[in-house]
Amino acid sequence: MSPAVGKSGGPGSWKRAVKDGAVALHARDWADAKWSSIFARDSAYAADSADPEAIAAANLRGRGTEGEIQGPMMKPAVWTWEVPTYFWFGGMAAGASFVAFACDLSGDHDSAVLARRVALGALMPCPPLLVADLGRPERFHHMLRIFKPRSPMSMGSWCLSLFGGIAFSAVVSDLLERPRLARFLGALSVPVGAYLGSYTGVLLASTAVPVWKQSARFLGPIFVSTATLTGAGAVRLTVSSHQTKTALARVEDAAVTAELVLSAINRRRLGSLAVEGPWFSRAQWLVRGGLAARLCRLNPLASVCFMGAALCYRFGWVRAGHASATDDAAVASTARLHITQH
Amino acid sequence: MSEISIQREDAQRMGFFTDTTVCIGCKACEVACKQWNDLPADGAVFRGKGSYDHTGQLGADTWRHVRFIELLEPSEIAREEAARALANGAGGQLPQIPASELAEAGAGVRSEEIPDLVSMASQEVDVARAVADMDRWVFMSDVCKHCTNAGCMDACPTGALIRTEFETVILQPDVCNGCGYCIPSCPFGVVDRSHDDGRASKCTLCYDRLEDGMEPACAKACPTDSIQFGTYEELVNLAERRVAKLHEKGLDRAYLYGAGDAPENAIAGGLGAFFLLTEPPERYGLPADADSPIQQNVVPATLAAMAAAFGAAASVAALFRFRARFLTGMAVAAAGVEAWRS
Repeated sequence: MSPAVGKSGGPGSWKRAVKDGAVALHARDWADAKWSSIFARDSAYAADSADPEAIAAANLRGRGTEGEIQGPMMKPAVWTWEVPTYFWFGGMAAGASFVAFACDLSGDHDSAVLARRVALGALMPCPPLLVADLGRPERFHHMLRIFKPRSPMSMGSWCLSLFGGIAFSAVVSDLLERPRLARFLGALSVPVGAYLGSYTGVLLASTAVPVWKQSARFLGPIFVSTATLTGAGAVRLTVSSHQTKTALARVEDAAVTAELVLSAINRRRLGSLAVEGPWFSRAQWLVRGGLAARLCRLNPLASVCFMGAALCYRFGWVRAGHASATDDAAVASTARLHITQH
Repeated sequence: MSEISIQREDAQRMGFFTDTTVCIGCKACEVACKQWNDLPADGAVFRGKGSYDHTGQLGADTWRHVRFIELLEPSEIAREEAARALANGAGGQLPQIPASELAEAGAGVRSEEIPDLVSMASQEVDVARAVADMDRWVFMSDVCKHCTNAGCMDACPTGALIRTEFETVILQPDVCNGCGYCIPSCPFGVVDRSHDDGRASKCTLCYDRLEDGMEPACAKACPTDSIQFGTYEELVNLAERRVAKLHEKGLDRAYLYGAGDAPENAIAGGLGAFFLLTEPPERYGLPADADSPIQQNVVPATLAAMAAAFGAAASVAALFRFRARFLTGMAVAAAGVEAWRS
């Protein structure tokens, strides 16, 4: 199993015998690629000419015919528990930044200070989780090697760094008793947090995995709802102001409603592509538990239940991707969807 | 293409044309690829179910994979097509060797003792069906498609995946940190992350050999020239003429996968490594249509996600101001509907 030279998967230790020397025994300019008799002038291999339109029509005909599936069609993501957990913490940080801004707007600056600390606290586990998920953790800094707007993961890495910087500066400003600077930084973290809380959905939607890909316009909004839910829940468990607590309970209820409604619409759109799983049913039971706790006026328990439900939703979505990518029929039919649209 | 990262004057787009009609499934390409690229073995695992293909799929250590399309029941169309082709005199005649001649070859055997196998065969064997039954085994040497719209390259946050001067897509192992985003972003399931190495890897179209003007190892090793290597335009031209030839011979099912399409029907903008197939794409584990998922989804998904995120931030602020007593009721109703539906 071990390679003859070098390390497994690494470049072989290869050196030219003569510096800049040509490789012996080969014809230059790929002339050696044409050794075969099928390139001979009298070969019966190919016709003398082809009608491009006939070829294009044959291609569409060939691809348009449905066949028995012999997979595997594609590969599932290799991400383990760190990624959904990161989604949860990152969402919490983004949600807490929304709450901090709302607290400031409503004049409850003490709660805003706490919310900013919650945002920073929720952000702290994110970098270690992401680094742990890498195949080569020691190369984590390569994430900030380039700025690539078309790659959600590149933008997410930059966004996480920026949000971390802002959240940290805001908390430091609070500690140094510079409230105006802290409020400014808190407001600044809202647009950055908006991307932090939603890009994870975009990241999944921009893959070839059927259940994620076909949820493209819904994954971001669903993840934002979850983020707001966890942010509100985490702040609600830490603040003492009664007014803010009741306001946060309203935010939780609205976020749960949005999450449930968006998920239901999306599931209906997906039809047979929708993936159920143990994590989704755990999430549903926790939501029901949270609502029961709310009706029984056990509000802290409700927050805990909702936050647990959010974590289960994150795991559910990531695991659904695995199930969907390994479902060869789902992958094949999603690809067919596009060809029939032509 | 502006995304070419390595500039060299006079460099042209190079590619593979894999003609499955002449592939004999010898797996020489797999071995040559492993040898040249110094890839470790996959381990001797028998896949069972009577399959002769123990490689299974492309992976981190398998950059060429000869797919065995096994035990295919010939379709009615395939039988009719074969019958028509035979009627037109294609495919040559079965040799009609008289039994007496055979008898002369065998010393001491009288001619009446030897059955006329050929005439027996033409009486009792449905030749058209026998020809069609050849489709019970089809081989296809699968490889990275080096797409024009490469999903893996769009996804890569570190810039490890780049386009070379030959317009192929390569992965720089010294840059990759194993984030794994390229894996679900490839609609063909080509890229994979190595378990013991932690980095993603895939076919480089033997970039190191190309730099020296040599054809890739798999094409060099292919004994039937099923794998053909050359400049992209030349290959597409040859492939189209090959399809025209096969159509002439009556094999109407022959088509190109990834080349020769009208631009609006092109697979991932056109594949640098394309195939001549005779069966529906799913039989080979190929999607009927594909494109870079990021190019398809990232803009609408980001817009939806950001709109939702700003909406969420605004709603949190609004819910701090206005008391809305109906929200718990709404959440309970939504959860109730979900419980009822599931």
